[in-house]
Amino acid sequence: MQLAKYVKFREEQFGGVLFQTQTEKVYTLNPTAAAVIREIRSGADAAQIAARLKGKFHDPTGTIEGDILALIHDLQQKGLIGDPQG
Amino acid sequence: MSVSETLPNAAGRMPATTPATTTSGELRAPLYVAWQVTNECNLACLHCIEESGPGKAFPDELSREQVFEVLRQIVENDVPYLSFSGGEPMVHPYFFEMVEYVCSQGAQLKIETNGHYLTPGNCARLKDLGVKAVQVSLDGASPETFNRMRVRGNFNLTVEGIRNLQDAAVPIEINYSPTSFNAHEIGIAVDLAARLGAHSFYTGRTMYTGNAVKTWGKLTPSEEQYERVFATLHQKAAEYDGQMRVHFHEMGLLDELRYRLHHPAALLIVLPNGLVKLINALPFVCGDLRKQSLGEIWGNFQRAWQDPRVSDFVDALARDPGTTSMLHKWVYL
Repeated sequence: MQLAKYVKFREEQFGGVLFQTQTEKVYTLNPTAAAVIREIRSGADAAQIAARLKGKFHDPTGTIEGDILALIHDLQQKGLIGDPQG
Repeated sequence: MSVSETLPNAAGRMPATTPATTTSGELRAPLYVAWQVTNECNLACLHCIEESGPGKAFPDELSREQVFEVLRQIVENDVPYLSFSGGEPMVHPYFFEMVEYVCSQGAQLKIETNGHYLTPGNCARLKDLGVKAVQVSLDGASPETFNRMRVRGNFNLTVEGIRNLQDAAVPIEINYSPTSFNAHEIGIAVDLAARLGAHSFYTGRTMYTGNAVKTWGKLTPSEEQYERVFATLHQKAAEYDGQMRVHFHEMGLLDELRYRLHHPAALLIVLPNGLVKLINALPFVCGDLRKQSLGEIWGNFQRAWQDPRVSDFVDALARDPGTTSMLHKWVYL
């Protein structure tokens, strides 16, 4: 899993931005979402990302794993991430 | 221009905007640098929003050393997206060297060209260098309209250039400026763009500035023509949904500027001499890349949008739309 060809990520104080340069759409990311993108860029799969970030973020409601998987699913649906060849 | 989509994330919502609607004040650098690399052009188009043409290069356009210093700063500031326009960017003496530098540093680059230099060799080179897209101005669906509007231009050569892009597998975008004498061809032009393999088609209201000021009386479409243009575009956008994005601004310039007073774009407009404008449709300059760093200018940009002279100018535009003819008389903020 990697960012799609025309998607750029930039770290910001508030988290980060994803810029889909073909559609010229910008997605604003909070720190958790930005952390997910960093993991995606390192080549981790969804399960690895969820496992790693559960330990990094405070998760009193126990929902972070589901949220991360939902985010990854939406990123895939929007064409923002794909396989390494994509 | 509105928030079009949202993605959920671990702590709320993740809205999708564009560089033009992203709240630039929260960002550490622009998301997009639109650089008019030269004012020189091989054509002398009636509707040009710049004052470009043959022999119209600014006397103080950036030197090679200055160009690459600006590019270095753009890369260093992690600006993800650039466009090179003009004038005609492909006549710039360091054009391919600049393209190579930007693409090799990981930024994504769009070239906005009139298409007259898109030879098979140049298209193959652009593909090899990895440009994100080439946007070609195709203001007409026939030689009669295109050649009338693009003085010294050649419709067939432009279409051949687009075909060369297609053959080289370079992503293609088409830009179309409606005028009184090409407005009726908009639907055919969208169809042509799709046949030529474009992934996006851009259009909107032609602006009363640059060379267009001198020819406005003959150039400007009537409101009835614009209504038909936009009705056709709505239809074509639905027809090509999923194949080609038909993107158009129905909003007039004044509405757009009023919107941007409160939502400054996350983009900088760089002129051929290194001056940086707030936005193309305003005369205000917020920095000079020959003397200031990109970071410093980004700070100035945020403050300059709050300068009362900017909102005063927009108010003046509301009273007299002809005020846009002053856009090339720069005002330093």
